[in-house]
Amino acid sequence: MEDKLKTTDGRSLRSGSFMRFMIVVGIYFAAALFILLGAVLQATGVIRGFLSVQNFINIIDTVSMLGIVAVGMAFVTYSGNMADMSVPTTMALTGIVAVQMLQYGFWPAIGIAIVTGLIIGMINAIVIGRFRANPIIWTLAVNYVTMGVIRLVWVNKQIYPDTVASTAGVSQSFDSIYRLNVVQHIGGNDLLNIRLPMLMMLILVVIGQFVLSRTSFGGQLKMTGASFRAAKFTGVHVESVIGLAFVVCAFTATLGGLAVTSLSRVGAWYNGAGYDFRAVTAVVIGGMTLAGGRGSIVGVLGGVLIIGLINNIMTLLGIPTLSQDIIRGAIFIIVVGINAKSLRSLGRDDT
Amino acid sequence: MTTPNLKSNRSQVLPWIDRNRIFLLFFVILAFMTAFAPRFFNPFNLTTIMSTTAMNACVAIGFSIVMISGQLDLSIGTVITLAGIIGLGLQPRFGYAVSVPVAIVAGCLVGLVNGLLVTKAKINSFIVTLGTMTILQGVVYQSTGGNSIALSTPVAFSTADFLGKKLMPLVTPRILVTLALVAVFELVMRKTRFGRNFYMVGGNRNTAWLAGIGSDAYIIGAFMLSGLTAAVGGVFFAMESAAATQNLGTNSLMYVMSATIIGGTAMSGGKGGVFRSFVAILTLEILYDGVILFGLGNEVKIFLAGLILALVVLYEAYAVYKHDKVVGQRPYLLKELAEAGVKKG
Repeated sequence: MEDKLKTTDGRSLRSGSFMRFMIVVGIYFAAALFILLGAVLQATGVIRGFLSVQNFINIIDTVSMLGIVAVGMAFVTYSGNMADMSVPTTMALTGIVAVQMLQYGFWPAIGIAIVTGLIIGMINAIVIGRFRANPIIWTLAVNYVTMGVIRLVWVNKQIYPDTVASTAGVSQSFDSIYRLNVVQHIGGNDLLNIRLPMLMMLILVVIGQFVLSRTSFGGQLKMTGASFRAAKFTGVHVESVIGLAFVVCAFTATLGGLAVTSLSRVGAWYNGAGYDFRAVTAVVIGGMTLAGGRGSIVGVLGGVLIIGLINNIMTLLGIPTLSQDIIRGAIFIIVVGINAKSLRSLGRDDT
Repeated sequence: MTTPNLKSNRSQVLPWIDRNRIFLLFFVILAFMTAFAPRFFNPFNLTTIMSTTAMNACVAIGFSIVMISGQLDLSIGTVITLAGIIGLGLQPRFGYAVSVPVAIVAGCLVGLVNGLLVTKAKINSFIVTLGTMTILQGVVYQSTGGNSIALSTPVAFSTADFLGKKLMPLVTPRILVTLALVAVFELVMRKTRFGRNFYMVGGNRNTAWLAGIGSDAYIIGAFMLSGLTAAVGGVFFAMESAAATQNLGTNSLMYVMSATIIGGTAMSGGKGGVFRSFVAILTLEILYDGVILFGLGNEVKIFLAGLILALVVLYEAYAVYKHDKVVGQRPYLLKELAEAGVKKG
């Protein structure tokens, strides 16, 4: 049925499943090249300690929170709204709210944090989905407002789980959001250090991939992202489809925010800073086009892993974290440029 | 053929208010602060307001031109920082005669790179400038090692004194530079063909192409002007204040973007003006100054700045949403039908 969807010059309207498969393979091939680069650098003695199981687990561990956030960001990009710039302060706000609410116990704190995140998502959903505000400028504005709320409510202060929590056990539960060793928890040995965020990232990737490629919401999202007008005239309820994408993004940002806050053991307004740019980078390297409607969550996972490998190699080379921004920014622009160019040469550029 | 003039008084007043909202807002807020804020209306405070606005007002010139051309420049904040650091960092060895032009040229170069990537590599301006912003952050950190650069030579101190000295009431040399730039660019944007073409490119690129305007050149030009004004704002601010810090321009993006949008420069391009953005910057600064004078903290100012931006973006989006709902409807036909006695429905 679907194969009959063709343009007048015979091009398939579906980018064939083989093509899509090859894009994902390409991303993981790039990741493999970076592993090869690391191996060569280690073999020539430039860096040490790259090729070890522990290092690879560390790499995944460091990017696991980025991966969680990137899954939600991918939904927004897929829907054709480029990026949700309110992610950093959504993470900070939900984290600090959770810490503050630890006085009422662990699960209430998590619940209230998630509700807070969903409220931000709903606000974005209404304004961008229904009123068609410019997504970048609106989410930037929300980012600043949320920042202002945090600054205003907590008067520039940071709060610590162990001083707020009702009992030591509650504070410990909050710390273990990031630190819980899943393998050990279910009775395995503690040699393999698989932490909870890693598991969350993998689960979210599986769910996200399933939703995008197998559900009607995923199909509608693809259509809305590929062509807003076409989707609207076909009868897709574009308002709620775009809105849902932003809610999903806020939800994953909340999970990421909880993990980041648990990692740093402090609720503060600067938690999550930089996650907007890094998540967009991961999404773009993962083969999703900013025009919307193309790409896959599995690819985004590949993008996240590539970022982790690049960061790891740069750190092992001894480049300071902030100077790594130069290389990250350059890679980001180059990847988007190549992506845009290859799409144009295929005649699929619709920006 | 004349179109039937059925516009009521109401429908002429509201658009007028909307067009000139920034000037009305300016007078309302100025009047409010004069009346209620303690120690607001005195020469010292007003000069403080003017010199605080001087940097962002300068940056807003280029940012507005980029928005008028239908693009977005997120890199202005880091260009400000970069220019400040170059301006002060090279001064001890080469003097301001070299370091200031170098800083400004660096700003232009960033703009050129942004413009080339947007027009030739055809990458969305949001992505390009997000990327250059990140790169510049790294460059700033790499070049300073995370420290701020302080004034060190006697020349630098005397220049700082000169830039902050009152020439006449309310005007210091640095404010004068900003006012001159605003005046020049306002005239260029309103009166010259070169300036009007930015509106054409931003309003409708196809029309601009049909009119024989090289859109690419204008977009590159807009980004270069944005880099130029951001660098000028940053370098003069750094020269007057004691040091160029790592986060010199961190908050500028939010303030400048809020002001530009409040000033009536459309997010979709083709609308707005340099002078409007300047008045908007001034209005916001008066508001923030008043907030501090009322004894409220910096966090209230940050919250207010974000809230104002959000409200204006929401208002603009809602106005477009409502306009889109009635677009294509012809009210005079409905009115004719009503006059002919045909009931609706």
